[in-house]
Amino acid sequence: MAQAVAQLDSSASQARSPQIMFWGLRLSVIIYLSVMILMPIFVISVQGLRDGWDVFWTSITRPVAWNAIWLSVWTAGLMAVINIVMGTTTAYVLVRYRFWGKGLLNSLIDLPFAIPTLVTGVMLTLLYGPQTPLGGFLDDELGIKVLYSQTGIILALLFLGYPFVIRSVQPVMIKLDAAQQEAAHTLGASQFTTFRRVILPALLPAMLSGGLLSFARALGEFGSVVIISGNIPMRTQTAAVYVYSQVEGDKMASASGVSLVILFIALSTTLGVDYWYKRNRERSRERA
Amino acid sequence: MSIHLHNIIKKYGTTPVVDDVSLEIEQGELFVLLGPSGSGKSTILRMIAGLAPLDGGKISLNGRDVTNLPPQKRHTGFVFQNYSLFQHMTVAQNIGFGLDIQKIPRAQRKERIEELLALIEMKDFGGRLPSQLSGGQQQRVAVARALAQKPDVLLLDEPFGALDVKIRGQLRQNLREIQKRLNVTAILVTHDQEEAFELADRIGIIDKGRLLEIGTPDQLYRHPASRFTATFLGNANLFNAHRNGTMIYMGEKHLPAPPNTEFLAGQPVQMMFRPEEVVIAPSSQPLDGDLFGEGIIESIAFAGALERIAIKLDPTGELIQALISPDVTRKLGLRPGDSVKIGVKNFHLLPVE
Amino acid sequence: MKERNLSLGGILLLLAVLIYAGVLLLAPVVALISNTFQDGFDPFWKAITDGEALGTLWLSVRLAVIASMFNAIIGVMVAWVLVRHNFWGKGFLNALVDLPLVISPVIVGYVMIVLFGRLGWLKDFPIKLAFSWEGMLVLTVFVSLPFVIREIQPVLGGMGKEQEEAAYTLGASPWGTFWRIIFPSIRHALTYGIVLTLARSLGEFGAVAVIGGGTQGSTESATIYIYRSLNDRNYAGAYSMALLLGIISVLILIVMNNLRVHKRGG
Repeated sequence: MAQAVAQLDSSASQARSPQIMFWGLRLSVIIYLSVMILMPIFVISVQGLRDGWDVFWTSITRPVAWNAIWLSVWTAGLMAVINIVMGTTTAYVLVRYRFWGKGLLNSLIDLPFAIPTLVTGVMLTLLYGPQTPLGGFLDDELGIKVLYSQTGIILALLFLGYPFVIRSVQPVMIKLDAAQQEAAHTLGASQFTTFRRVILPALLPAMLSGGLLSFARALGEFGSVVIISGNIPMRTQTAAVYVYSQVEGDKMASASGVSLVILFIALSTTLGVDYWYKRNRERSRERA
Repeated sequence: MSIHLHNIIKKYGTTPVVDDVSLEIEQGELFVLLGPSGSGKSTILRMIAGLAPLDGGKISLNGRDVTNLPPQKRHTGFVFQNYSLFQHMTVAQNIGFGLDIQKIPRAQRKERIEELLALIEMKDFGGRLPSQLSGGQQQRVAVARALAQKPDVLLLDEPFGALDVKIRGQLRQNLREIQKRLNVTAILVTHDQEEAFELADRIGIIDKGRLLEIGTPDQLYRHPASRFTATFLGNANLFNAHRNGTMIYMGEKHLPAPPNTEFLAGQPVQMMFRPEEVVIAPSSQPLDGDLFGEGIIESIAFAGALERIAIKLDPTGELIQALISPDVTRKLGLRPGDSVKIGVKNFHLLPVE
Repeated sequence: MKERNLSLGGILLLLAVLIYAGVLLLAPVVALISNTFQDGFDPFWKAITDGEALGTLWLSVRLAVIASMFNAIIGVMVAWVLVRHNFWGKGFLNALVDLPLVISPVIVGYVMIVLFGRLGWLKDFPIKLAFSWEGMLVLTVFVSLPFVIREIQPVLGGMGKEQEEAAYTLGASPWGTFWRIIFPSIRHALTYGIVLTLARSLGEFGAVAVIGGGTQGSTESATIYIYRSLNDRNYAGAYSMALLLGIISVLILIVMNNLRVHKRGG
């Protein structure tokens, strides 16, 4: 016992003032995150506004710039709406039904998270280009052009955003109380009514937050879009591609304004979702 | 003196959660800190272990001032409420963890682990993972792990809180035996008065961060010094009264004062008596004890070996709780609505707060 | 929700999902594979064993590995502080962690030029970051910063601080507690986070394209190589490298799936 105590003393004395160590760690983490993440936001804000509001306003209301911003916003928005519907349906099928190949489908859904977006762009070009069977068919028979068109941009964003809603809805669906549904059935509710009145309200927060995250993510998408969109100003040039071409052309001033607008929309969406989701969770906890 | 707390204080912001607590605990004693949840009792335990820094006061263990020592140097064994076994280690590795840290040679370590496994009667479980054990087994492993380094004190934070009522009794007995056999000083924190009565050598009552009173279970149950203790440790009938000479007056009624009370004449006091001290008899029959008053039976409810009877006191309408053997009620033919005489075998006096 | 056998409605829903996922996810993959191999295996092999192509791949791999190691170490520290410590502004800091996922990589690259470029705010900074390998590394670290943190946070939160405290009362130092108690518990989540970080780093294009790519060889990553090859009409080179990166991603995906099983198992 005496020996044990002596050894304990010597080993513990190596842990010199852990409190100071933890404080140091905490401080380093705060500084690191602030520099890494707040720095870009700060730089873009200063860079965008330093020549005054008028210059900023002129830089984003130039038709080419304004069209690029608007194109990014509406394509990302449309993508989010489609994927909220298709993503929720996919999650439902995955959670609800037993079928062969389910594990494979479930893994496949993560593909957009793993595959480089530039490669996505290349793949879509190869699938929908005018010389390919599918692209040729769509162009000749239906008059739909995918390559170098807004349709192509939306397809690229749909690919990219597909997993977001699914991965956000799936866990909520798994936890969804079967008893609640059965109770609704015993109360005479039809399948559809049960879905609309019981399941949907429970899923809505997860659907929206997944959708909005995919929206924010798609807003700044570059790799896939730069290849499939063809970069035609006023028609298929998105905001991110616009910024890239301005920087390449050494026209820094016009890059800053558009960057700031896109950054602002993406940040307010993400932080808004975070805040809203937390509040929602707290409120439902209070109710419980 | 094994554990000595001198006026320890802990604040969160400006609110004190442990408010100037002093306490001395003897070697080999099992001391229970009893209080409602949020009373600060767990915080006291964490302060002793070095897991929560003090905002004031001093702690010594076996005469050693440990106030500013980190948890590693305090030689305490801590049993957490959820046991906190290391999930990725086997039972034997969990128990041997502290010995390993001390770099005790393998053979010696193995011997000690065997010894502890035998102590908690889990000899064949050394190779299991915590997730393969029942709640009660996990708790015993947590106790063994805390004891492995022969700590100066064993600290137990609600160790039975997460267990089924059924196995609690058995585990309490085991813990009590182990603690006495090893003669290790222990503090156990609980909100369950039954548990406190069963285990404690002495109990300290905690409320809102203050240590209200200390005593043996019997002392605190029969002669509490405060209303809080009286009601927290079981059901109590409480009435305002005042003392005059050797008698206690309640309105017109009066009873002889108990011998061990030192309240001055004319001073307002509270009369306290437990439901099992109440005797009753139909109005027409004599009462076995001093008459306290008369009333009407409000309800009779089954309560195990005894019956719980609520009586509405005449004329104030205050309710008195009584625990009476079913034989008595049957013999007397008592029913709700019957008028009865109420007597008290023993009662206790409390200051008015 | 309970799992059931397929009903008629379920079959229709499943078909809709399979068609959507098939057209959206699988068809492009098939198109890439068939195009790359339309003249057999040799052109593919020649294209990816080309010295220039291999050089860019090697740069991408180096960037991804170093960025992942860095993010693994820093990520564990950040996650630990965000879970265990309480301080003013923690909620805000925690929300910030996700931002690299939604800030356009092009904008991040642009920020680097504004800061460290020829006329940048910090143009006298001792390390050359714009148009250099080091700058590409910083950007790669940035875009893949959240993954390790977000994987570890729930595990640390779930295990509670009591296991750490138990180790302290048993005499273990903070460092010893990390290696013996915390690390074994977060091991699987950490690996998962590292794999995600690798995938993201390897495929990064927008940010590094803005500041790299100028001088071939030293700052041309595999993705930039694909982009340049497309512009130079070196289609065999572009498709082959795209396919190679795609194959690596699928391998990563398979590893991810196996890890997820582990993660669930504890």
